[in-house]
Amino acid sequence: MSKLVRYLSLSCGTLSVLLCFPVLAAVTEYHLTLKDHLFFPSQITIPANQKVKLIVENLDPTPEEFDSFALNREKVIFARQKATIFIGPLKPGEYSFFGEYNPNTARGIVIVEHQNQEVPDAH
Amino acid sequence: MLINTVILFLRDALPILVLIAYLFAHLPTSKSWLLISLVASAILSLIYNSQIHTIEQWFDGTGIELLIWLSQLLVYLLAVILAAELTFSRCSKHYIVYWIAGLMTCLTMVSKGSNFILYFEGYLHQSNVLQSMLLGTFLGLGICLSLAVLLYLTAHWLKQQFGLWATWLLILVYATGQFVNALPLLVQVDLIDASSTAWSSQSVLSDEFEFGHLFNVLFGYQATPSIFQVIVYVFALSIPLVTFYWLNLSTTKHAGNKQ
Repeated sequence: MSKLVRYLSLSCGTLSVLLCFPVLAAVTEYHLTLKDHLFFPSQITIPANQKVKLIVENLDPTPEEFDSFALNREKVIFARQKATIFIGPLKPGEYSFFGEYNPNTARGIVIVEHQNQEVPDAH
Repeated sequence: MLINTVILFLRDALPILVLIAYLFAHLPTSKSWLLISLVASAILSLIYNSQIHTIEQWFDGTGIELLIWLSQLLVYLLAVILAAELTFSRCSKHYIVYWIAGLMTCLTMVSKGSNFILYFEGYLHQSNVLQSMLLGTFLGLGICLSLAVLLYLTAHWLKQQFGLWATWLLILVYATGQFVNALPLLVQVDLIDASSTAWSSQSVLSDEFEFGHLFNVLFGYQATPSIFQVIVYVFALSIPLVTFYWLNLSTTKHAGNKQ
């Protein structure tokens, strides 16, 4: 039994190490602003199969939770503060996101597509 | 605001109430642990929320994600300890299970409940939303409580039919689901690199639907889980199951040989 436990913990450890360490590479930044419970821009295009950094700035006096089922992300953005969320690498397609506290107005889409050229920051 | 509040309850209050329902069915008669842990959770939630801006700055802005993930990991480990208590119940003290249940409730309430405090703190001062928020609270709480009562009755029936291991299995499946659901928090702050999607069942059952929410709470259903989440889920569920099955089998054999 102890052999089995040792083998399992060794396998789990190795797997975790292999899967968990983030790849050290330059990550493109994209900016989103939340004002009057609306995301600006409400649509951002990012390259496929690439990790990107999404910086969301909340200009409202109330907190909001950036939420996306498609992207598997949820992050509270406090009033008049910024939050950083890493997304991707993703396959081409459309991934919707919304503000959990104001889902009727605060909505947006991340469009993922193949791009040949380097994408400039979307402000 | 009415619908938003109801959805918020379904997402954040339902996991708390489901855990309480399972523990209520699993534990022996005394229920004072629940009252104590509810009071402790309320105090801890207020402290957590008052310090949330400081916590957010910890470890290069990954403090909240790390803390929530750690609390879900602890809930999972406590569920495993519950099984150990069942296996070695002859030599263990009874009050330990109440401590475990209380801790599980506290950790879940603080990590999920902070969302409510933020929401109500942020929007309750707006005079035009007070009525719809209160109505949403009653509706959301009503739906969640009804589901929790149904789950309690189901768990209680399973306990009568198959014994304590049935309710423990429900708790383990719940805790594993919540733990695996917390993994994307580490991905979103770039602490782990595990975004490759295993499959997409959005067309069959979307996370946004009511059943998607319910299954997410019950066993951690996700329409687009990552490969890493699937691997962790399988290991986190199968290791305690195999270990305790083997331990119980050997204990039973040992007792049989003695007789």
